[in-house]
Amino acid sequence: METQFIVSFAFILATFGLYVGIAIFNKAKVASDFYVAGRGVPAIYNGMAIGADWMSAASFIGLAGTVMILGYDGLGYIMGWTGGYLLLTFLLAPQLRKYGRYTVPEFIGDRYDSNVARLIAAVATIIISFTYSIGQMSGSGIVIGRLLEIDYRLGTIIGAVLIAIYASLGGMKGITWTQVAQYVVLITAYLIPVIFMSLQLTNNPLPWVSYGEVLEQMKVLDADLGISDYLTPFTNGTKWQFMALMFTLMAGTAGLPHVIVRFFTVATMKAARWSGAWALLFIGLLYLSAPAYAAFSRFILMTKVANSPINALPEWTKSWVDTGKLLIADTNGDGILQWTELQISNDIVVMATPEIANLGIFVIGLMAAGAMAAALSTAGGLMMAISSSLSHDIYFRSINPQATDQKRLAVGRWSIIIASLVAGVVALNPPGAITQIVAWAFALAASSFFPALLLGVWWKRSNAAGVISGMLVGLTVTLGYIFAAKYGGFTILGIIDTGAGVFGTAAALITNIVVSLATKPPSKKIQEEVQDLRYPEQMTYRDGEVWLDNGEDIPPTK
Amino acid sequence: MKRIDKKVADAYFKTRTTLIMSFLGIGVIVSFGVVLFAESLTEVTFIGIPIHYYMGAQGAIVTFIILLFLNAIISDRIDKKYGIDDSRNETIGKGKPMDH
Repeated sequence: METQFIVSFAFILATFGLYVGIAIFNKAKVASDFYVAGRGVPAIYNGMAIGADWMSAASFIGLAGTVMILGYDGLGYIMGWTGGYLLLTFLLAPQLRKYGRYTVPEFIGDRYDSNVARLIAAVATIIISFTYSIGQMSGSGIVIGRLLEIDYRLGTIIGAVLIAIYASLGGMKGITWTQVAQYVVLITAYLIPVIFMSLQLTNNPLPWVSYGEVLEQMKVLDADLGISDYLTPFTNGTKWQFMALMFTLMAGTAGLPHVIVRFFTVATMKAARWSGAWALLFIGLLYLSAPAYAAFSRFILMTKVANSPINALPEWTKSWVDTGKLLIADTNGDGILQWTELQISNDIVVMATPEIANLGIFVIGLMAAGAMAAALSTAGGLMMAISSSLSHDIYFRSINPQATDQKRLAVGRWSIIIASLVAGVVALNPPGAITQIVAWAFALAASSFFPALLLGVWWKRSNAAGVISGMLVGLTVTLGYIFAAKYGGFTILGIIDTGAGVFGTAAALITNIVVSLATKPPSKKIQEEVQDLRYPEQMTYRDGEVWLDNGEDIPPTK
Repeated sequence: MKRIDKKVADAYFKTRTTLIMSFLGIGVIVSFGVVLFAESLTEVTFIGIPIHYYMGAQGAIVTFIILLFLNAIISDRIDKKYGIDDSRNETIGKGKPMDH
């Protein structure tokens, strides 16, 4: 235990040092460094940064466990969270990049020419990002706490302080390069154990190909136990719930401000397309491995733990029983632990793997550093989104438009410090289960930002009245459905609170279209700006004509 | 600045939009389409995994990744065909007047 502590502590400390060093080295000097990393991040690195930004503590620690416990039904998370990148990269990111603003609320405010719309979007950004960050803070608290063997509350505070320091130092520029390093740490930590497990169980180092074999053997085990097959679809909810959840996660991904803003850090629309492609490749490495983790862990639990005498269980089970994440009860008193007498928490699957597969202290240390990287990188991106909304969309655009660069950077840094610490304090006593809160954040993003951005980019007729009523109706329907489904038992086609986004998004789209058509069209200038988004940077749409900038003469004045 | 024929500009937009819509269509089929018929696909297997599970755990994601790379590559070709110079785009993109 003593050596394990020293090794894990060294891993965490070394990676922390690396992140803070990178943040200091890339300190933001001007506002465009702080908000959009100077707009010069190469696409492949931006892809890694998006990957780290995107994959949170929940993805790293919880996703494989969710698939293991839900079986086929857990795959809705995997397809939803990856499919969102199609919507984002095809329909929104390049066009938003061409529009050339610093933040998502700023795009909404300028595209719809409405301060009210910008303020609603800024408040929605803060609410969504803040809720999401609570999960990251408490995730980092659990890892730090378990590692340093201190109370997880103290761990949470340490995590929050660290996020505050490096996020405020570097701004978007520092965060970008820190996230690149965090991606490398987290993916290495995620892949090494699953590759070893694959070797041990199937003699094949490629878990993505080898777990089919394990699934076949599990089919027999399930049949022997007389329980429902692991692969049978829709055992934990209706098919409509599966699809509603998948849609909510996809549209939510395409509407999350902290992810979209990463596409503002590259130079061109072309780079935005490539960023999306690289990002999903890097994210895919983890998402493709999660079902393998799930299959291997379930197989080991079924064959090595279940059906053993209750007093002769493997050594590693003990420490997890102590944390309350693994419940073992010999309910029928026959001295043997049956599969049905095991209760496993989602969070145990990935974190316990190094011990299950006996991979040694270095892999356990690496795993802890990886989980921390996942929590810190997402929290850093979220804090940045909150700070941009406060310092840019609210302070600079509405309160003090004359503010100097220095003043705006100072407001940005202070809002990161305050937001991190407040989120850290709230995370000491989280308002609900982490996965639940995360699902709600996606439903809210899907029903507010996704329709506003989609119509903003693709339909020039959409106007201020449309977007304001659309966002408000979307948020109301989503919140209403979440409460009705969760507390009132009200469901449509078996769709529960986590699938609420599908109704909110539909309501917001319809409202935006109907209200826009019933009111005055936007100004000619705005309509032309929207049509301009159809073409690459070099082409400009003006007065019904398309111009190609060949750099030879001065463009005609407006 | 050179004026481009409206027809050429429209053709550019149409090509790009058709590309995106076909890719989105494929994306919907491999995810929502397979889920819709999941129960009737359980008998077919691929590398030992029933196809409905395989598509959810790997097939759909790999397809998404391929579609995104195809989109990036083909869009670059379309840009080239229409005489778009990426280094010029970069200069214009960096110096947006709205970078306040």
